Amino acid sequence: MTGVVKFLHRQFVVPFSEMMKTFQHNYAQDGGYFPRIRGVLTQIARFQEIKYGDHVGTDELGNKFYENNRFFVGRNRWVDYNQETWADKWDYNASQITPEWHRWLHYMTDDPPTKVPPKQRPFLIKHKRNMTGTNDCYVPYSTTRPKIESWKPPN
Amino acid sequence: MSLSRATKILLPNLSKFQPLICARFIHPSDTLQSDKPADNEPAQVLQPIRSEMGNIRNAPNKGEYIATRLDDLVNYVKTNSLWPMTFGLACCAVEMMHFAAPRYDMDRFGVVFRASPRQADLMIVAGTLTNKMAPALRKVYDQMPDPKWVLSMGSCANGGGYYHYSYSVVRGCDRVVPVDIYVPGCPPTAEALLYGILQLQKKIRRSRMASFWYREHSPKIESRQEVLNNLLSSEPPKQAQQASGH
Repeated sequence: MTGVVKFLHRQFVVPFSEMMKTFQHNYAQDGGYFPRIRGVLTQIARFQEIKYGDHVGTDELGNKFYENNRFFVGRNRWVDYNQETWADKWDYNASQITPEWHRWLHYMTDDPPTKVPPKQRPFLIKHKRNMTGTNDCYVPYSTTRPKIESWKPPN
Repeated sequence: MSLSRATKILLPNLSKFQPLICARFIHPSDTLQSDKPADNEPAQVLQPIRSEMGNIRNAPNKGEYIATRLDDLVNYVKTNSLWPMTFGLACCAVEMMHFAAPRYDMDRFGVVFRASPRQADLMIVAGTLTNKMAPALRKVYDQMPDPKWVLSMGSCANGGGYYHYSYSVVRGCDRVVPVDIYVPGCPPTAEALLYGILQLQKKIRRSRMASFWYREHSPKIESRQEVLNNLLSSEPPKQAQQASGH
């Protein structure tokens, strides 16, 4: 009898409570009844799935990091990029997150930098995302004299 | 909608956007007007397009706006169905297989390996390209239908890598085929290759074939010399400064 109750509980009650937790999660982010639905729709647009989890921390650029160990390894930690990303172009990039959170997000360590702060060194510079493909990209140039003479088309 | 706003959309003020539009036509070497050798040119000129043209009010005219949206549609299709040619040459190919395996799961990006170059859009050159293999690589590249892209994976394919001074190795596959994305590493991790694929998708998203076609066939576009004169009378673009700044 208890087995049947457990089965029914797992089949019907748990999914419903999980769904409600998802709504609660988004409710905490926005607020009000319509934003509660809007939050879910926004999440589908951004992540292509509906998720909820504990807010583990926020890095200095404003990216929010979440964890929910209910999900399979590889999907249990994720990042919600900062507001500038979603405001204009949705031009997000994996290099936007800071290196100390990269360690945690890619399972190099289980301790987030909020729990174990990284050691500060004088030579550390501020994190910058990969600028490839933008106007601020690095353009290589040669500082040596060319070894060959190129053909110049007559005008 | 008020009347003035409607007229703004229907008859956009072209002069306001003229330097903005023209900047995209012009290679920095045109604006330099110097006798510096051509080696000093930057490798590429890139302009942000989506933020400028995303709004119909920012588009110079309606035709341009429609062409840009057509580009968006075509790019969306191209981006999400990248089919790479299976071209593993060395240990990088093992990482490429990891990228295909369930943990990194390239299929979720629409990337599916094809065994024939006739069905492929992308060639991932994974590994050392030897002199003996180079003609075969070029032949396979020529057999791929347009549009096609090449992703160079690993140090050996990028520039020879460990075998740079070997007598039998091509010093970088960009000596044989035009490369779009270089993924560094020896070998690069599957994550690095994934990131490279995402960068390639961004590059494809930036392509503007329909817009260029429209500009070429549009009678409203002024001549290249007029565009140049307008630009030279105003301040020079940022890229040109970058080119001359060394």
